[in-house]
Amino acid sequence: MTATLAPTRPEAPARPRRRRHRLLIPLGLAVLLIVATLVFHAVDQPDPADRGFLSPVATGDDGGSRLAEALRGQGVAVRRETDTLRALLATEPGPATLFVPAPELVHPDTLEALTALPPGSRLVLVDPSRRVLAGMGLPVVPGERRWATRVTSPDADGRPCPLAEAAHAGRAAADHQRYLGRSGWTAPTCYAGGLVRVPWSTEVVVIGASDPFRNDRIDEWGNLALATGLLGGSRPLVWLDLPGPAPAPTGPSWSPVPGGGHGTGDGFGEGSGDEERSDDGASGDSPWDNPLWDAFPAWFWALLVQLALAGLLVVLWRARRFGPPVPEPLPVTVRSAETVLGRARLYRRAGARGPVAETLRAAALARLLPRLNLPPDTPPAEVAARVAGQTGRDPEQVAELLHGAEPTTDQELLALARDLDALTRTVVHPIEGDPR
Amino acid sequence: MTWRAALLLGAGAATLPVWPAPFLGVAVMAGLVLLLVALDWALAAPLHALTATRTGDRTVRLGGTATVTLHLANASGRTLRAQVRDAWVPSAGARPDVPPGRVLTVEPGAAATLPVRLTPTRRGDRPAGVLAVRSLGPLRLAFRQRAGRPATPPWTLRVLPRFDSRRHLPEKLARLRIIDGVQVTRGRGQGTEFDTLREYVVGDDVRSIDWRASARRADVLVRTWRPERDRRLVCVLDTGRTSAVRVGDEPRLDTAIDAALLLTALAARAGDRVDLFAADATLRATVTGSGRPALLARLVDAVAPLQPALVETDFELIAGEVLRRERQRSLVVLFTALEAGALGEGLLPVLPRLAARHRVVIAATHDPVLTGLTAAPPTGPDDAYAAAAAWRALAERDRVRAALSRHGVTVVDAPADRLAPTVADTYLRLKSLGQL
Repeated sequence: MTATLAPTRPEAPARPRRRRHRLLIPLGLAVLLIVATLVFHAVDQPDPADRGFLSPVATGDDGGSRLAEALRGQGVAVRRETDTLRALLATEPGPATLFVPAPELVHPDTLEALTALPPGSRLVLVDPSRRVLAGMGLPVVPGERRWATRVTSPDADGRPCPLAEAAHAGRAAADHQRYLGRSGWTAPTCYAGGLVRVPWSTEVVVIGASDPFRNDRIDEWGNLALATGLLGGSRPLVWLDLPGPAPAPTGPSWSPVPGGGHGTGDGFGEGSGDEERSDDGASGDSPWDNPLWDAFPAWFWALLVQLALAGLLVVLWRARRFGPPVPEPLPVTVRSAETVLGRARLYRRAGARGPVAETLRAAALARLLPRLNLPPDTPPAEVAARVAGQTGRDPEQVAELLHGAEPTTDQELLALARDLDALTRTVVHPIEGDPR
Repeated sequence: MTWRAALLLGAGAATLPVWPAPFLGVAVMAGLVLLLVALDWALAAPLHALTATRTGDRTVRLGGTATVTLHLANASGRTLRAQVRDAWVPSAGARPDVPPGRVLTVEPGAAATLPVRLTPTRRGDRPAGVLAVRSLGPLRLAFRQRAGRPATPPWTLRVLPRFDSRRHLPEKLARLRIIDGVQVTRGRGQGTEFDTLREYVVGDDVRSIDWRASARRADVLVRTWRPERDRRLVCVLDTGRTSAVRVGDEPRLDTAIDAALLLTALAARAGDRVDLFAADATLRATVTGSGRPALLARLVDAVAPLQPALVETDFELIAGEVLRRERQRSLVVLFTALEAGALGEGLLPVLPRLAARHRVVIAATHDPVLTGLTAAPPTGPDDAYAAAAAWRALAERDRVRAALSRHGVTVVDAPADRLAPTVADTYLRLKSLGQL
């Protein structure tokens, strides 16, 4: 049966496997390609949290040293600050430009103070998130985000660009993250939404792409003109270069500063009011205050709920069994020679070499004596002599084997069993082989 | 509900992004699906209008294939769409023609036939399990299923022993005919019972000429002899603990049943009356040979469900039963094992009473493992201990055999595959010697 099965067996599974490979290899290649593309894209994207990202002193690809040099060449006073508070203080005397390349790193409590610069100042934010925009109270929300930055002209969406610097710069790589006006307000945008200007007392310019400022892309198109236009001019530039997420401002040293800074007088009260409001929000609707809720749109959560309901239906369907299991009345099985093997193990555990040797010798004698035509009560010496005569062995050795002392170790017992076996075979076998 | 309901809900989840209020969409879709499920459930064919019946084979020989057909009648006014699981015990080897997952369609008033092919793997009664019917709605979103609806039609397939020793039957019957004197024209039959007088033909044994009858007639007449007819044979099967021991790949009981069947077939042909008992602590089966033509069939049917029980056999009960039922002198063949513990304490005390009234034969299977242990040359200390234990078991068996022989009991001790022919030979020998 195995001979007939053997040639057919390797063929049968081979065909489905090959067919599966035919499907799996292109699919695997496609998955590999997609994953590799995603990984390379993620690696290639500059991370605003990196140490040297758009820093005036960093000369790497995503640094801003060439921009700083270009600005200095135009006679703009560039002041680099690594602390939010000191940057705000640096803008103090008169109108200035505050450049925040990584608004994510600014502590949420100090965001609002950034918009309260001295009148005539300008705040430039690079790729701020929804949280940052909401924290500043800007009427702008993020819109569509492109896979990669696109080069567009300032009036790409058909509307004229309100920002003279941008119009002057021409085509630039500014269309990456687009922004829209919030709640019906039509924001003045350039570059198809990639740049938004909020004309407050502090003019806020939000740009969705970091490309115009980066060392590696600044020479392309009108990037340099756009960057120097946004940051240059007659105002001094304060460059907020945060090395990492900013620590929380400490109350007494921080609170009076914005109030005394630009003289509105209600800075202190406003700050405390903010704190109260955030406290109220945290204690009032804390279950809904989880930022995770806002991280995804509402339909996503509804989708999860519905899929969970569908899963519940699957569970209910599978939980109903299709008839009870059928019990099999199993037969009693007792292995053959169970008691004999058990007795052998008992002998071994008890070390009963004496009785075992006795049994083996008795069994050998019971087989030898009829062969030699001797009565069962033959004296041992005569038996030994006859057996020795038959086999040609030493009579003393045979007597020792058949009637000797009991073995003391397992090895001696084994030797005895072997000798007895060999002896009986030599005596019994020639007669058995006799064709009679 | 079924997987379709879950799939419907899951597919509906994909439309959630376009709903204005996603959570409302979840509620609407879940409600809609539940409504459809309820509607479908209500439209499914009612289970109480279904009736299930079975037809088909009641018995099958081990190794053969039987067909049992389930008829599912739909008396309701709706079309039945149902999945049917007709469960059998695993050892029945059931292969339904319609797999349980397939959906059957039965028109109102019609009936579906579901044949099941059964190839049992073990002897004995193989019962059908619980019938489960799943009545699906027209959309197949929901189903009705209830335990006991429709009621499971009971069915038991009796698997008869294989009766492998049938192949010995022609040879034994030929020998029986020789003994009978039917086939041999020359020489007289070897029986001891006077049959008829007939005319002498050349070649007849001159010793059988009946001179007295010849004197009354002009011809020379010879007496013809035949073996005794209408003798009684009692087979006793021991189903106690020793019958559970596996010799080769089947229990001792199966070997004994095989031998008993051959013996019965032979004795029935020879014109003897056969009774059979099977007993351990209680009487398991009784067949008395009153209705001769169907004796073998009845016997096979009676022994098929016998299973070994892990209890000590009550020989007192067996002897009492045999003595009570069999008034005439009979041949009692006891199928058991030559085991010192079971026979020495159970059988030997009651044997004199039994042997005084009947001729007793003890048929036993011996274990090839024991011979293997004693014959193999020892290779390790374990073998020496095992050999000693086996020699001891063999010596005990010889003691039992000697003790039984002292009571005038014939002991047949054969390996499993030779037991049936050896027992038949013993029967034929006893018959030819006129010792029944």
